Amino acid sequence: MSAYASGDPKTQVMRQIQQEAAMQNAKMLVEKLNEHCFERCVPKPSTSLSKGEETCFSNCLQKYMTAWNTVSQQYITAIQKNSSSSQF
Amino acid sequence: MDSPLGGGPGFNEQDLAKLSDRDKQELTQFVQNESQKARIQSAIHNLTDTCFRKCVTSKISSRDLDKYEQPCMQNCVDRWMDANNVIMKELQALQRN
Repeated sequence: MSAYASGDPKTQVMRQIQQEAAMQNAKMLVEKLNEHCFERCVPKPSTSLSKGEETCFSNCLQKYMTAWNTVSQQYITAIQKNSSSSQF
Repeated sequence: MDSPLGGGPGFNEQDLAKLSDRDKQELTQFVQNESQKARIQSAIHNLTDTCFRKCVTSKISSRDLDKYEQPCMQNCVDRWMDANNVIMKELQALQRN
């Protein structure tokens, strides 16, 4: 990141694109985390989050992110294998 | 080309017009790479969503993927790719006929 320490318009544009991409990625992750973990951990919403629901949420967030990393590794390995046979 | 970044803060169009051909080329390449990265990340999000639904079905009581969930996630990705390939092949066959 600091390699792009402001300066000329080219690196400015590059930096901005990277920031927006990172933001988009983070947004998507947060959306999915909420969707899955709310569904799983809060089946019947009551007047407040119970201790159990909070624990479930925290476990669920970690689990989902681990799952994301697993999928990421597996997918990238697969497309690299596939790229020789011209997929993607 | 319209500014793909909308009215974002930071730089202005005049600065961009002053870029050398070499810089423009470099930027084009950069945008292509970033687009591909974004497409891959988006696919990973969708796959994680699909596979999490299929593989993490029991009560969530730990932060790690258990010994069933972990390989299930990996198989899920690989089988999804297989399925995708089957569809592509079928579509190509349809096109030829």
